[in-house]
Amino acid sequence: MSYRARTRIVPWLFLLPALVWYFIFLVYPMAYSFVISLTDWDGLSRTSNWVGFANYINIVFNDEVSRLALRNNVIWTVGTLLIPTILGLVLAVLLDQKLFGRTMFRTIIYSPAVLPLVAVGLIWAWMYNPQFGFINEVLKAIGLGHLARGWLSTFETALPATFVTAIWTGVGFSMTVYLAALQGIPAEQYEAARIDGATGLRLFWHITLPWLREAHVIVLSLAVISSFKVFDLIYTMTYGGPGRSTQVMGTWMYFNAFQYYHAGYGSAIAWVIAIITLTVAVPYIRHMSRD
Amino acid sequence: MAVASQVRVSESRPKTFQLQRSWPKIILWIGLFVMAVVWLIPFVIIVLTSLRSMNDLISNGVFAIPNRLVPENFIRAWNIGNFSTYFRNSLILIVTKVPLGILIASLAAYPLAKMRFRFNNLVFIFFLVGLAIPIQVTLTPLLVMMKQLGIAGTLPAVIPPYVVFGLPFQIFVMRGFFRTLPNELIEAARLDGSSEFGVFWRIMLPLSVPALITLYIIDALATWNELLIALVLISDTQWLTVPVGLLSFQGQFSSRYTELMAGVVLSVTPILIIYVFLQRYLVSGLTAGALKE
Repeated sequence: MSYRARTRIVPWLFLLPALVWYFIFLVYPMAYSFVISLTDWDGLSRTSNWVGFANYINIVFNDEVSRLALRNNVIWTVGTLLIPTILGLVLAVLLDQKLFGRTMFRTIIYSPAVLPLVAVGLIWAWMYNPQFGFINEVLKAIGLGHLARGWLSTFETALPATFVTAIWTGVGFSMTVYLAALQGIPAEQYEAARIDGATGLRLFWHITLPWLREAHVIVLSLAVISSFKVFDLIYTMTYGGPGRSTQVMGTWMYFNAFQYYHAGYGSAIAWVIAIITLTVAVPYIRHMSRD
Repeated sequence: MAVASQVRVSESRPKTFQLQRSWPKIILWIGLFVMAVVWLIPFVIIVLTSLRSMNDLISNGVFAIPNRLVPENFIRAWNIGNFSTYFRNSLILIVTKVPLGILIASLAAYPLAKMRFRFNNLVFIFFLVGLAIPIQVTLTPLLVMMKQLGIAGTLPAVIPPYVVFGLPFQIFVMRGFFRTLPNELIEAARLDGSSEFGVFWRIMLPLSVPALITLYIIDALATWNELLIALVLISDTQWLTVPVGLLSFQGQFSSRYTELMAGVVLSVTPILIIYVFLQRYLVSGLTAGALKE
């Protein structure tokens, strides 16, 4: 083989296993799932009818649950952008100080992030337990017993209660990314600003925040992407209930495709999630592929 | 990888944005201490629950120190809950799927990092897009494919999708790491007559051990924790992984809280031990830019 031919073919030989795997188990299933989403297939029978974009129209205009699920995803997204992100940033700045035991603080706050979300969901379902749960016991102990309730079985509190669990597991990630990014801010930036008379919050606002731009792209994009992928916590803690009040797109897809035998409709929901996450991912992927 | 490499030099960096006086520091420290305690409460509660009897729980509540330690909860959970089976299955995946995925990712990352060819960047972006693809959009076809292959319901069914959903992040990290290795090493090996695969296998991979360990830990964790794919593709009880097994365990023990929490403690303890000892690797890998969900 000539040198030129070799250099032209060799890269593709290395890429071959990954590309083949990617096409067979990702690209092909995605395309297949799009075709299914244009039918009324139940997931089992040999036949199905072509329905065009009817499933998509139903998701957006007719199905109250899918609209509620979409709304819940949006609420989840806004909540994630606000609470764990800002809390993570604040913690990162504080734990960047020379403090006694700061490594231990980081270890503890990040620790829930390594657990299986099923275990996290079971732990918090127990915390929220109406009879014996920690939350109600504390409320009773401090004289707020009238507030005690079945947090996960009450319509108004089920989604916020699940979200509190998401904060517990989620803060560690943004804290860690911001902590790493803080190390990249050159010391001279602060010194120069200090000579100009800036202190405290002004340093944070004019030096720290702008220098964290890359970290913002990562943390904020992933916050939105993961908010639309939410599944495990809802499935484990509320199973979409009470009623269907905590359904999100991820669980509603699962229930349709694998419990109610509406594979066509479920696939359409899956594609709606995919379109949203892929759109949000554009700046993120651009950032990751830049040198 | 840029961010991760900065972490390593962090300790020598002069700290500048620092609180100078001591009283704000003390208030700050107390605040962080309170938060850490709050973060630990769920762990304390599940341990306290798992160690007491149901009667003790009903009469004394969830805070009280157990009046007698009941290790039988763990034994019953382990035996009746089939935890040995779930642990075995998850471990099988960790020693088969994880190395397979990392090998495929490393092979792909090598030319992306070190060779010039048409569409290099396009192929890289094509892989990165996988980071944003929700699992749901592949699930129904995957189930059909696994049925056709005759492995639906069993453990091997999850291996192909697990590998695929690991590839984007792994290719990203390995490409970043390979790029930090000097080109002279590759040139020298080529002059010695080494094949490209020889360069990859005998030079690139051995030099990448730190990155490979990090990826191994991250992917082992993700594999151990994954629910949705396993929920759809595994149905035989003898092939359930830890998360799905934990869910079916909850189904059987829904109101036997003490044993249920013993099961939860069993399933999180190995991970927490690994986390505490290997967190340096884990955290540097996670901050390499991204995290797959």
